[in-house]
Amino acid sequence: MFGQLIINGLAVGSLYALVALAMVIIYKASEVPNFAQGEMAMVSTYFAYMLLISNQVSWHVALLGTLVFAFALGMVLEFLFVRRAKDPTVLDLIIVTLGMQLVLHGLAGWKWGPDQKDFPLPISDTDVVQVGGLVISYLNLTTMIAALLLMGLLYAFFQYTKIGVAMKATQQNWMAARINGIRTNHILGITWGISSVIGAIAGVLFAPTSTLDPHLMWDPLIKGFAAAVMGGMNSLVGAALGGYLLGFIENLFGLYISLEFKSIVAFLAIVLVLWFRPSGLFSKHYERRV
Amino acid sequence: MKHSRWLLAGIFLAVVAVALGVGCGKKGQRGVTDTEIVIGQWGPQTGPAALWGAVARGTDAYFKMINEEGGINGRKIRYIYRDDAYQPAKTKAVVKEMVENEGVFAFVGGVGTAPGMAVKDYLIQNQVPWVGPASGSSHWAYPPNKYIFSVYPLYFDEAAVLVDYAVNTLKKTKIAMIYQNDDYGKGGLVGAKMALEKHGLDFVATATTQIMDTDLSSHILKLKEAGAEVVIMYLLPKQAAISLGTAAKLGFKPQWMTTSTLSDMGLMHNITKGLWEGVIFANFAEMPDSDHPLMKKYREAAKKYAPDERWGVFFAAGFLFAEPMVEGLKRAGKDLTVESFIEAMESIKDFKGIGPTITFGPNQRQGTRSVFLSQCVSATEAKQLTDWMTSDIDVEEAIRRMKEGE
Repeated sequence: MFGQLIINGLAVGSLYALVALAMVIIYKASEVPNFAQGEMAMVSTYFAYMLLISNQVSWHVALLGTLVFAFALGMVLEFLFVRRAKDPTVLDLIIVTLGMQLVLHGLAGWKWGPDQKDFPLPISDTDVVQVGGLVISYLNLTTMIAALLLMGLLYAFFQYTKIGVAMKATQQNWMAARINGIRTNHILGITWGISSVIGAIAGVLFAPTSTLDPHLMWDPLIKGFAAAVMGGMNSLVGAALGGYLLGFIENLFGLYISLEFKSIVAFLAIVLVLWFRPSGLFSKHYERRV
Repeated sequence: MKHSRWLLAGIFLAVVAVALGVGCGKKGQRGVTDTEIVIGQWGPQTGPAALWGAVARGTDAYFKMINEEGGINGRKIRYIYRDDAYQPAKTKAVVKEMVENEGVFAFVGGVGTAPGMAVKDYLIQNQVPWVGPASGSSHWAYPPNKYIFSVYPLYFDEAAVLVDYAVNTLKKTKIAMIYQNDDYGKGGLVGAKMALEKHGLDFVATATTQIMDTDLSSHILKLKEAGAEVVIMYLLPKQAAISLGTAAKLGFKPQWMTTSTLSDMGLMHNITKGLWEGVIFANFAEMPDSDHPLMKKYREAAKKYAPDERWGVFFAAGFLFAEPMVEGLKRAGKDLTVESFIEAMESIKDFKGIGPTITFGPNQRQGTRSVFLSQCVSATEAKQLTDWMTSDIDVEEAIRRMKEGE
């Protein structure tokens, strides 16, 4: 049973890791936890649903279309709402993201209705691979691989591509980047686009295990945020590790200590981490000197 | 000049108002005139529970049908419903508005325990009758209140009936339960436990969920490890779908049983990708595709008055909750007041619509304690397993246990 617990923890942890990654990318660029991340992913997932069901396109076309849509959605939201804020404080930006969250949530409720829908991804969550008495579904396996793959891709992107390096530069020193000829506004837009794409992948992989409705990403968003805080909002690797760790802790706690408080353990973890390591478990600790 | 014109207009309006007021107030009854009766309902048309908004719209189709048939004792029903988005604070606001501005005579239905609890005292204080709260909570009829008539089977009772069937007919003894951590889930837990005790049994395992939980793998693992043969489920559609999916993945195949809350088979079959087949569930009314003559008639009415609506369980429930009210209004006769209506409602004995047999009395406000069970065969077909079954657990004891937080 313990082995199965670890697998279940890793499976759900991969989802948290994806959401955490998406949040951290934006946090590093705009210095704001993007609370609209979940709703952005939800709307993208609905877009995939629409392509699959109403337009009857094949699922790889739908997937590709969704990624393009998600990228555009991220860029548009950044351009329309975030960039408009004049000399924003962090609190202003948080309120902007909360506002976007409400708008997207309302929009989805109006456009697609409140009914739960079945999201038809052709990767099964009930067909399983068996290894020595332990089971893992094809979908969970796909999520795990996707999470690892995306982490690798992101790492390479930030390390070796021109845009990636420009992004890092923008994150580290906006003014200096600008002086050096980086169009920082473009960079911010692209950052939001990439983050939105990662969120969309999380949404599409998660929806089949749950049901598609406007509340799709509420739980994963909170957990992903918790994971990011745990691992360190400034570190991609840290955030992802935080996701796995949280998935694992939750499952362990649920089975051996209390199912009733399983969901709350995430917040307990946040408090403990903030208490002892405010920058996160896997992030370099630094104090801002004035 | 200008002033005097306004003055004239004002006087004219005042005269009209007085004239109308006299017309309305002839019998001194809010919401009743010679030609109409005003009935209200609240229900979530938006927000997380909007799925159940169909109840209020179903009632609309039902009243349109009644009006077309000539109304009740020469009066037509004027029906209004408002969206409360399943938020108790909003329920309070819309109910107050409907009573004080629209002059509602009585309310029917009204989805949800928390929204209903938010307005219960207000309705009682203002002597507004309320028939058929759309929730299986015991708060409506225990202790009985003059103005409230409940026709929804109690959550305790559905659980007790499910346990009786599992033990007596399926001959299972290893029974487990997964339930959400609120009034609905805990009501089921208490009812099932009391029924198990009656058979000299106890749960082999229980698992409780928070309403937003989406990862239920440790819950299901716990039930599986306990070797449960039957799992009773008191969840909402989303978590029910997650539970069945997770169980299928882990190779756990118990007999799932659940409540009327999840009796919308078309929806459940779809969102569980067919895993719903074989699930046994309780029903508080004839199934939507039933051949029951009243059900046939209502289906036709729904097609006529609400052609865009899906004829599902919750839409039909809008007819179900309003049936006893219409019966009461008929019995109250031409001289309709709150008092005569309540007296008429209390005289209802063995009333049969599309639901179970309903009986009220001077001190009896829970109209029924019966459900029947059916089993999902395919997306559109269910097999009726039992006739109406009545729970016999002690409600007072169940309420006591709920309060103790068992």
